[in-house]
Amino acid sequence: MQKLQIADKTYHSRLLIGTAGYPNFHVMMEAVAASGAEIATVSMRRVKFTDRSGENVFALLRERGITILPNTAGCFTAKDAVLTAQLAREALETPLIKLEVIGDDRTLFPDVEQLLSAAVTLVKDGFTVLPYCNDDPITCKKLEDLGCAVVMPLGAPIGSGMGIRNPYNLQIIRDIVQVPLIVDAGVGTASDAAVAMELGCDGVLLNTAIAKAHRPVLMAEAMKKAIEAGRAAFLAGRIPRKLYANASSPQQGLMDALL
Amino acid sequence: MKIRINGEDRNVSAELTLYELLLEMEIEPTHPGIAVAVNREVVPKGDWRTKSIGENSEVEIIRAVQGG
Repeated sequence: MQKLQIADKTYHSRLLIGTAGYPNFHVMMEAVAASGAEIATVSMRRVKFTDRSGENVFALLRERGITILPNTAGCFTAKDAVLTAQLAREALETPLIKLEVIGDDRTLFPDVEQLLSAAVTLVKDGFTVLPYCNDDPITCKKLEDLGCAVVMPLGAPIGSGMGIRNPYNLQIIRDIVQVPLIVDAGVGTASDAAVAMELGCDGVLLNTAIAKAHRPVLMAEAMKKAIEAGRAAFLAGRIPRKLYANASSPQQGLMDALL
Repeated sequence: MKIRINGEDRNVSAELTLYELLLEMEIEPTHPGIAVAVNREVVPKGDWRTKSIGENSEVEIIRAVQGG
């Protein structure tokens, strides 16, 4: 089966996993392993002068061969997102950046104007930009045109677990965008991830659905299987939907009705 | 002299390099995964020993944490 390619690197897994919100660090590492993910996201935050715990999350993940994808979560302006990306590149020695520019605290929807502006600057600066964006085909097309390595429309608001709220837009985005299409945010359970993949998405990025599941490691395994199943179903091609029945057993050679 | 580090006002020794400032803040400069911006410009690790910190500088010292 064809692999996921982002910039010049190929990945066997089509699941990108977030590392936040797990019951503890050990469960997070177990969940990452169970998910089979080869890319994991981290955030950039100020060093605390009192608490130095957990400073090496990225080093431990890298030891396991995981590609680190820093994000710009928490940024509300292009200016802040660009500086955060530059700091992430310096700190983690990677050109990859998951670009998030948030417009509103309550919805965490992207601010498209600021997002596009930051994407232009970062692409010019040599970054491999993976933008979190609305499920809007025009925005996705613009992000592709200005040089983003992938587009990552949301399925539903971050952490909402509402699943794929607009599958029709995802289908349109799939049709008009050539770069990898990764659903980022909104997945609540395994079937949501499968739906995204059946629509033709190239991957799914998720965090909360695993981290906040009752059994995160088991959910990580479920997500892995769902993404593999959804991808296979997409490639296999689903049958058309029909309103009425169409018998699958042969209609010839039926016995006469017994009276 | 007075500077601002990670959003907090601090009094530090005068005429410091960035490298010396990190030591004064008890941050090991060789610790992997740290990046620093001074007045909103990233200072590459290779320049930490020569970058001087002036009065009222705004310093951001960041690291990677678990994130989504």
